[in-house]
Amino acid sequence: MVEAARTAVRTASGGAGILRFLGRRLVQGVIVILIVTLIVFALLHLAMPQGPAQGILGMQATQEQIDAFNRANGFDRPLWQQYFTFLSQIAVGDLGDSFKLNRPVADAIGQRLPKTLVLALISMAVALVVAIPMGIYQAVRRGKTGDYVFTTMNFIIYSTPSFFLGLVLVIVFAQWLGLVPALAPQGDTVAQVLAKPAGLVLPVATAALGIIATISRYMRSATIDNLSEDYVRTARAKGTPMPVVIRRHVVRNSLTPVIAMLGYYLPVMFGGMIVVESLFNYPGMGLLFWTSAQTGDYPVLLGCVLVIAVATVVGSILADLVQALLNPRTRGELA
Amino acid sequence: MLRIRDLAVTFRTDDGPVEAVRGIDLDVRRGEVLALVGESGSGKSVTAMAVLSLLPATATRTGSIELDGRELTTLTEAQLNGVRGKEISMVFQEPMTALNPSMRIGDQIAEALLNHGVGTKQEAARRAVELLARVGIPEPERRAAGYAHEMSGGQRQRVVIAIALACEPKLIIADEPTTALDVTVQAEILDLIRELAHSSGTSFLLVTHNMGVVADIADRVAVMYRGEMVEHGTALQVLREPTADYTKRLLDAVPRLPEGGETVPPAGEPDGTGPGGVALPVPVLSLRESSVTYRKAGKSFTALDGVSVEIAAGEILGLVGESGSGKSTLGKVALGLAPTSGGELRLFGEKLGRGGLRGRAERRLRGRVGAIFQDPGSSLDPRTTVGEAIAEPLVVHRAVRPMSGRDRAARVRELLEAVELPASYASRFPHELSGGQRQRIGLARAIALEPELIIADEPTSALDVSVQAAVLKVLRELQERMDFACLFISHDLAVVHEFSHRVAVMHEGRIVELGATDDVLLRPQHPYSQRLLASVPVPDPVAQRERRIARLAARSAA
Repeated sequence: MVEAARTAVRTASGGAGILRFLGRRLVQGVIVILIVTLIVFALLHLAMPQGPAQGILGMQATQEQIDAFNRANGFDRPLWQQYFTFLSQIAVGDLGDSFKLNRPVADAIGQRLPKTLVLALISMAVALVVAIPMGIYQAVRRGKTGDYVFTTMNFIIYSTPSFFLGLVLVIVFAQWLGLVPALAPQGDTVAQVLAKPAGLVLPVATAALGIIATISRYMRSATIDNLSEDYVRTARAKGTPMPVVIRRHVVRNSLTPVIAMLGYYLPVMFGGMIVVESLFNYPGMGLLFWTSAQTGDYPVLLGCVLVIAVATVVGSILADLVQALLNPRTRGELA
Repeated sequence: MLRIRDLAVTFRTDDGPVEAVRGIDLDVRRGEVLALVGESGSGKSVTAMAVLSLLPATATRTGSIELDGRELTTLTEAQLNGVRGKEISMVFQEPMTALNPSMRIGDQIAEALLNHGVGTKQEAARRAVELLARVGIPEPERRAAGYAHEMSGGQRQRVVIAIALACEPKLIIADEPTTALDVTVQAEILDLIRELAHSSGTSFLLVTHNMGVVADIADRVAVMYRGEMVEHGTALQVLREPTADYTKRLLDAVPRLPEGGETVPPAGEPDGTGPGGVALPVPVLSLRESSVTYRKAGKSFTALDGVSVEIAAGEILGLVGESGSGKSTLGKVALGLAPTSGGELRLFGEKLGRGGLRGRAERRLRGRVGAIFQDPGSSLDPRTTVGEAIAEPLVVHRAVRPMSGRDRAARVRELLEAVELPASYASRFPHELSGGQRQRIGLARAIALEPELIIADEPTSALDVSVQAAVLKVLRELQERMDFACLFISHDLAVVHEFSHRVAVMHEGRIVELGATDDVLLRPQHPYSQRLLASVPVPDPVAQRERRIARLAARSAA
């Protein structure tokens, strides 16, 4: 992922027709999404050669009931036909009907996705506020005690599975100290969830800690690279005090690659959200994905994967765009 | 004005302390240009950085540095920031990276003023534009709002000088300010420095390895060698009548072009050429109307524009030109590393590419061409031993020339001896060798397959002059013994003159002049060749003064 981000940095900073570059990325994105749908469709059929009937009708269902279900839902047709039916439906925003929730998949995702986005964005914002200064501090104090303390801390967090980290947080802050609730706020809308911010503290902390560990590492190395650049020496030779050199010159140039990375981080966050949401029972898309996987609610699963694929593609294109805007070499071409 | 006494700088390294500067004394007087010269590792740059306490944290400095009687070594960081840029400022070697890529040019100049409380933001911004105009940047208002990437190397160096000038310091320390620039640009920057020293009375401490630059601009010279001051005096004394052995050796190693009209013994006629350097049939390399275009930002850029050239067997063709002239592209075309968009390439009489040899036959033909590149450090894999690096072409072409492992090892020893390195070096790694030794390894690898043509792209440009002389000597001896033809690409006209039978001058993707070495380099016909030659400073203050006056006269006439 980091390598991909670096490639994007190189490509975008080369100044080679950024608009054409973005256009090409868009086409690539559509192809990627098509391939993703195909793979998931194929995988699920491999896992459930009989189709989802057994999962929906229960273990007691007779073969006749299953056949009737398959006929009614079109699962008796050749696979390629089923796939193309699915494709033509999603083209008009119809993701099919859930087997378990008695509602269209698009509805279910539409209700859950904003809440996941809110949780992800808050976590990301919190993580950036902590990780960026941390990375800069570590770079400036490179090889000194402060750097080692944060590095050790980050490695511990990084190597701890997030469900375990979340459990530790729940035990310490909810059960022992009783500072915050262990359960996330419930509700159908974003406003209902945000109305009880105390319940968001632990889910956000769990999600943010992992991001902090990654991004501060990245910020640290980007800052170290920039600190050894010649322009830092030029700035110092004009009599600019070192703290100002860092604030005015180094931070901005170091942020560019980190921002590129954020776009690629988006899909990773969705993976993290599945763990966090099921751990705290947060009513987002991650939890929906988790319960659907358990019940074999196959239209919902496929819908979620599609949404994540789209988010991945959009995220990386967005990252390229922001990069192009930050880089004075390519900014002119976008104006 | 600046008084350095008993300055010593030691670096802490993993291999123990390294003494970079060992107790030197140096004085810079008001309004003078003092050149501090020496080869890499002499401690000249370290001395320059020590003045403003810009050394890395691993360095320890002792001794005294006084500016107008004020001791600088005992100042706090905050007090130093009051001196940096205000009383003493610096110009650095690499203009391409010396500026912040994401900050507007005007802001970077204004920062120097605002750091020292000179005026308001608006005044500083206005002054920045004036400074850009002062250092000869056209359209200063537009440039102030622009970014570094929109400018050429020479323009960026002017901006760095503008930053250094901003607070009208007493002293500007310039660390190899023209080394990364083309000679014509170098001449302009030196003119600017000279003019600033005269008009504003600013002193310059100019760190350089280039004796021509010293002769062109310095009032006095101090020569450093391995951390010690070996000689100092006026430029006239040091360059014309050096007393220290090291200075004499250094000056002898500098390749120079003979003065105009002076006759020189010819470099010796190559076998494949007839009288007057005219190539006889079946040249080893022949380009006909070759073009190379690159696509950049949707626009196409012509790097090579319909170039026709031939190299005869055993002939050395020197290829000179400035950066961006297309000389390296021509070398790449010959090596098959750059696809041509038009024209015809023949190697040893066989046509290559479209309508010619391809695939295995093409590779076999290309195996008869060797290559040497500029940077001896990065063109060797740090993880392979010297022996493996030299043996690599033998392994790659084993289908053509089968060879047992033992024979290959013997061949590697032979090749090491051919480039005057001990055979025991085969088991060493590149980082254990000096730059000159690494370039000899590059040479050994290039001749491993006994090529009939070698493409040498700036093979000695990264080396010190004394090392360069040794590498060139090896290359020349090998050429005489093995009689390979050579495309010798260099920006150093004196080196090319010493080495080549014929010379081609490139400018903007075209060959503007091609002929016998002495004709082209001593009696150039094309205006660009004339301008290029006039820009090369010679390491003699008197002769260089005449050349400079002639060059400036020619420029104002044009």
